[in-house]
Amino acid sequence: MSKIKFTLNGKECFAEEGEFLLGAAQKNGIEIPNLCNHPSVKIYGACGLCTVEVAGVPKLLRACSTKVTDGMVVNSETDRVKHSRKVALELLMSDHDGDCVGPCSLNCPAGTDCQGYVKAIAGGDYHRAVEIIKDKLPLPASIGRICPHPCEKKCRRQYVESPISIAALKAFAADRDLEENTYAAVPAESTGKKVSIIGGGPAGLTAAYYLALKGHAVTVYDAMPKMGGMLRYGIPAYRLPKSVLDAEIKLIGDAGVEYKNNVKIGRDVSFEEIKDSSDATIIAVGAWKSSSMRVAGEELDGVVGGIDFLRQVSLYNSGEGDAPVIGDRVVICGGGNTAMDACRTAVRLGAKEVSVVYRRTRAEMPAEIEEIEEAEEEGVIFRFLRNPAEFVGENGKLTAVKLQVMELGEPDASGRRSPVAVEGCFETLEADTVIEAIGQSLDFTGINGLEYNRRGNIVADEASFATSIEGVFAIGDATNRGAGIAIAAIGEANRAAAVIDSFLNGQMVSYKAPFVSERRLDNIDFSVYNKKDRVSIPKRSAEIRRNDFDAVNLELCEDAVKSEAARCLECGCHDYSDCRLIKTANLLPIEPARFDGKKNVHKTEQRLVSIERNNSKCILCSLCVRTCNEVAKKSILGLVGRGFDTVIKPEFHNDEIIVGCRDCHLCVDVCPTGALKLLK
Amino acid sequence: MNKNANIQNDLTMLDPIFERYAGQFGSLITILQEAQDIYGYLPDDVLACIAEHTGNSPAHVRGVATFYTQFRFTPAGKYLIQLCKGTACHVNGAERLATSLRELLGIGDGETTEDGLFSLNFVACLGCCSLSPVIMINGEAYGSMTPAKLSVLIADIKAKELQN
Amino acid sequence: MKIVIGQGSCGLAAGAGKVFDAVSEELKKLNSDIVPGVVGCIGMCYLEPIVDIYDDNGALHRLVCVKPTDAPSIAAALCGDLDAVKSLEISPEDSSFLEKQYRIALRNCGIIDPCSIDAYISVGGYSSITKILSSMTPEAVIDEIKTSGLAGRGGAGFPTWFKWNAARQSVSDHKYMICNADEGDPGAFMDRAVIESDPHSLIEGMLIGAYAIGAEEMIVYVRAEYPLAVIRLKEAIKQARERGYLGKNILGSSFSCDMRIKMGAGAFVCGEETALIESLEGNRGMPRLKPPFPAQSGYKSEPSNINNVETFANIAWIIQNGGEKFAALGTPDSRGTKVFALTGKIKRGGLVEVPMGMTLRDVIFDIGGGLRDGREFKAVQLGGPSGGCIPASLIDTVIDYKKLGATGAIMGSGGMVVMDEGTCMVGMAKFFLDFTAKESCGKCVHCRIGTKRMQEILTRIVEGNGREGDIDLLLELCTAIKDGALCGLGQTAPNPVLTTIKYFRDEYEAHINDKKCPAHECAALLTYKIDADKCRGCTLCAKNCPVEAINGQLKAAHTIDTEKCIRCGQCVKLCKFGAISIE
Repeated sequence: MSKIKFTLNGKECFAEEGEFLLGAAQKNGIEIPNLCNHPSVKIYGACGLCTVEVAGVPKLLRACSTKVTDGMVVNSETDRVKHSRKVALELLMSDHDGDCVGPCSLNCPAGTDCQGYVKAIAGGDYHRAVEIIKDKLPLPASIGRICPHPCEKKCRRQYVESPISIAALKAFAADRDLEENTYAAVPAESTGKKVSIIGGGPAGLTAAYYLALKGHAVTVYDAMPKMGGMLRYGIPAYRLPKSVLDAEIKLIGDAGVEYKNNVKIGRDVSFEEIKDSSDATIIAVGAWKSSSMRVAGEELDGVVGGIDFLRQVSLYNSGEGDAPVIGDRVVICGGGNTAMDACRTAVRLGAKEVSVVYRRTRAEMPAEIEEIEEAEEEGVIFRFLRNPAEFVGENGKLTAVKLQVMELGEPDASGRRSPVAVEGCFETLEADTVIEAIGQSLDFTGINGLEYNRRGNIVADEASFATSIEGVFAIGDATNRGAGIAIAAIGEANRAAAVIDSFLNGQMVSYKAPFVSERRLDNIDFSVYNKKDRVSIPKRSAEIRRNDFDAVNLELCEDAVKSEAARCLECGCHDYSDCRLIKTANLLPIEPARFDGKKNVHKTEQRLVSIERNNSKCILCSLCVRTCNEVAKKSILGLVGRGFDTVIKPEFHNDEIIVGCRDCHLCVDVCPTGALKLLK
Repeated sequence: MNKNANIQNDLTMLDPIFERYAGQFGSLITILQEAQDIYGYLPDDVLACIAEHTGNSPAHVRGVATFYTQFRFTPAGKYLIQLCKGTACHVNGAERLATSLRELLGIGDGETTEDGLFSLNFVACLGCCSLSPVIMINGEAYGSMTPAKLSVLIADIKAKELQN
Repeated sequence: MKIVIGQGSCGLAAGAGKVFDAVSEELKKLNSDIVPGVVGCIGMCYLEPIVDIYDDNGALHRLVCVKPTDAPSIAAALCGDLDAVKSLEISPEDSSFLEKQYRIALRNCGIIDPCSIDAYISVGGYSSITKILSSMTPEAVIDEIKTSGLAGRGGAGFPTWFKWNAARQSVSDHKYMICNADEGDPGAFMDRAVIESDPHSLIEGMLIGAYAIGAEEMIVYVRAEYPLAVIRLKEAIKQARERGYLGKNILGSSFSCDMRIKMGAGAFVCGEETALIESLEGNRGMPRLKPPFPAQSGYKSEPSNINNVETFANIAWIIQNGGEKFAALGTPDSRGTKVFALTGKIKRGGLVEVPMGMTLRDVIFDIGGGLRDGREFKAVQLGGPSGGCIPASLIDTVIDYKKLGATGAIMGSGGMVVMDEGTCMVGMAKFFLDFTAKESCGKCVHCRIGTKRMQEILTRIVEGNGREGDIDLLLELCTAIKDGALCGLGQTAPNPVLTTIKYFRDEYEAHINDKKCPAHECAALLTYKIDADKCRGCTLCAKNCPVEAINGQLKAAHTIDTEKCIRCGQCVKLCKFGAISIE
């Protein structure tokens, strides 16, 4: 065989006489995307992804079926080729009805593999579950207790009866893991790079953990006496026992992270000093300042900020300060989770009448419904459609709150009906303490030289987390949109760790969300599932729990946990990590939504006994059919119908063929996507 | 499996066809055509029998049969209405005829009415372009059709069937 | 006196069979010994049924639009009273339909009895095969075809001699000459007409080709929808075999070749040559990758040559008259003649064969007589689902592969559909994409999903749900499908959309932006209104409205409930006062 020379993408390449371009390119180290080609079967030419431009040929040619000729000049990456490839992928994806990952995972800001760990939990493998969780989130026992769980909001099980209790399952697995055989990832060899993180809250700790695992020397600085940030000082102990948090923070320390507490930037050490002595610096401070309501009388003694109040109670609970004096009548202004934490904490401090004043109604409250219910159980009085107009005091001391009566008007941009003042209609509520819990903001004292946005938050690139100073990154509450939930800060921290690791290795790669396939809800038939109630989490009674800061929730029993986990519909695809289709679809930026139209939706079938077939995901590359014919010589699978409605189906008239099928599985092996699944 | 799966057909009627094409390369489509001439459609057991006798896999036989529009897998109605969807007929209003046929019969392309009276097929071109738009009922062409003429035609057939 | 009655498919559909029976009956009554003869299709479909009477002087009296009730007059004419059929005779105007044509492929159509090999021989049939078997080498035959400049008439226009030569050059003991008679373009029927009207010219043309490439077997792949063509071709093959034109040692030479028919089963894609081969082999008709080309590896992986019916119908004439005579017709790029199926809103529709180089205007206006009902010419569609719409402004385009190609349309197999201002061009594009999407074999992604998506976008546009950016989206899909589809049919599927956007973009924009159909054809975009001043309150429209959408008292102006209205147009047709308008 003589070697012939050709040019591919400007590179000089060699091929055997008679060799096809696709294989020849591969041998020369250039991958031309394709999905319907396989060395064991004849060339087919269906997917149209391997098209290339050949000099002197006006048409695009398929690399799979074009023989290399001497001196041929080929390009597989021209605009025209890429356009054809992009459209082909968009068309393929527009008729691919499958979920790469479950909606739970997609809706988790940290992208935790909920389906993966729920499955491990269903099988009783809590260690494996924690291993899966800790790929994205190093504080599962803590977060599992306090997360408002966006995962559950998108859980498809809700269309059967109610979502899986994902957060509680996570907390259970993490607790078990803390008790025995605790999972500990092994850090990589030391890189000699130094990373400083300002702020030891969920964001800072997460970034510290993942960077330490990469072998970098990480130091976390925090102004408070202990690590944990808002998890420790913003969230009451009855929701998150501090012992749990301590245990998880210790594990992060065990991974090699150095903690420096009671260090306030600008007071104890300058920002420049930290920055200049580190290869990378991350600002991960929290939003510690309660927002002002701009109401007359705010300066009165007895008016406090929600975050300040919670912090003081936390310090007091850990023996580091006095309890705040709040009197008998406490009024909390606001309807969010901080308001709920504040009112329930006030109850626990012994206040006799705790009221929450909210300018809309219960339906519009941003707080979690569970929190509202638990507050109600604990005796908190809700006063809806009321807004503080003035804090009234005597001799500098608060005595009452003047409330403006409101009514709901037209819906605003967010769809919520906005409250409108009823003119001249006021009420007075006597009060010893007012807690303002309407929001929180940042305090960057001591951190200089960065660019801030109009909200006063640090401007950080959404994909690289880089700030206006080279080598300084910012994540979590401190950036762009400001304060958010812990899991969102953790997600940013995890993604930032990867970016910063690449930065430390000399080639910064920004984060890019992968393109994934998602099913349309109206294509799913939920009637096929049997209903099974969601586990209810046992709680201490309101009468008892309102008197102390011990955990409200009691531990679930293991049987209940496993059976809850088994409710999972397993929406995500078994083949996601190996799927050639989705890998190819991520080679180019694609927008299949442009071609939204009819999808071929089928039920999964198990006529082949040991193989589950899901034609909704099939891309008709026919590799299974061809392999069954040409390699296995069984011809059990065939194409049925024509055009857009073509489907692949098995056809047999006796049981022998099914048996013959059982020990082959070649079709499953060649399927480039998750249409075929081998049943164990 | 279609709803006729449980009907037992006399498969010996296929024997002369198998004899005629025994060993002949590429005769599957012809065999399917002749089988359909016998049974009026291609029931499952007939397809299975053809696969067995021709040495083709059942999957291949079904694959071929479902590729071509000529083959039916359910019995045809007593009156087969073919609506020409050729270009000339389109330009002259075939779409309006399609709409009225759907309304009059309650069936679409490739379907048969529940009473088994009518089957409707949209066909590419009947080759009577000068008479467009055209429909054909059991092989007889009706040219220059309008929705009004069509409803009279269908009503006449229904009335005739009612008398019998 | 002699009488022949045209019995092609369209003649029969128009009632030629009943006329034949009635005339036969009448002649029997008169004890006449004249027996009506059968001929194929003369091509004047709009005048069917057609009866030709040759008087004793051999002069032709062509009677048109004949009804069975005309039988007594015809019988009388045959008994000598030619005045009895005066009123049925073709008008001089209609006669001009044939006068401007130049018939090679259709030379015998409608003139000879297709069921009689003697009729074919009497007009010089089978003299070409006799000539080449006695005096020409296969190479000489190919040279003669090369001289003629004949290009494939199926659509692509590839030089016939080149394909023959490639198949000739391929070394094998088994080669195949295949005729593509799977005429799938929903607006073309010349191949059917040739087989029905002159089957022996197809057999002779194929024989010459088989001799040239060295094939011993010929296969004709015919559409299942052409039952009459199959019957006539079967009969012709039987006759040719009996006379020694088919079979072993043809005409005593060393050349042996036989022929068989294979019926298609309903798949447009089988008109693509590799799909046709798959179908011949008993498989799903899904195109194969090229190369290898059929000339190297086709049917049964042997060298095969595939041409369409019209191409073969020219061959015997070329051998008989010489390639140069054929080449003298037409333009330097396109030699000879082309048959078109002239249909749509045309006054005189039917089959026409004209020399290349004529303009579209010549065909549509001079031969076709322009548009029906005095309507205005808007566009002409050429090449069916692979072709495009040529607007009125380009009516003087010359019929030539290159010149037609330059407009964005193609010569195609010969469908020529004339449209007037009442034809919606977006609807036209949708019509073709409905067709292509339905006929896509489903193998390659670009065609399977791409044509489906184009059809969906076009559907939403004609239904009034078009979105901003839809035109660009269509254009993007067009480009990608042209580049990425596997076979010729997929690659040309965007042409109807591309040409209508190119020449009628404003119509697309009107549908999308203004939710209006300028041609008043897209039902979803029409509003029917009654002009209160013109309405006399006759109640005719209200009584006939199928959905009771029209309200009003007797002698008072009526109104239409637009919510209920299904836009069937019935009221507009019925109104005697022109009071109902469409917007």
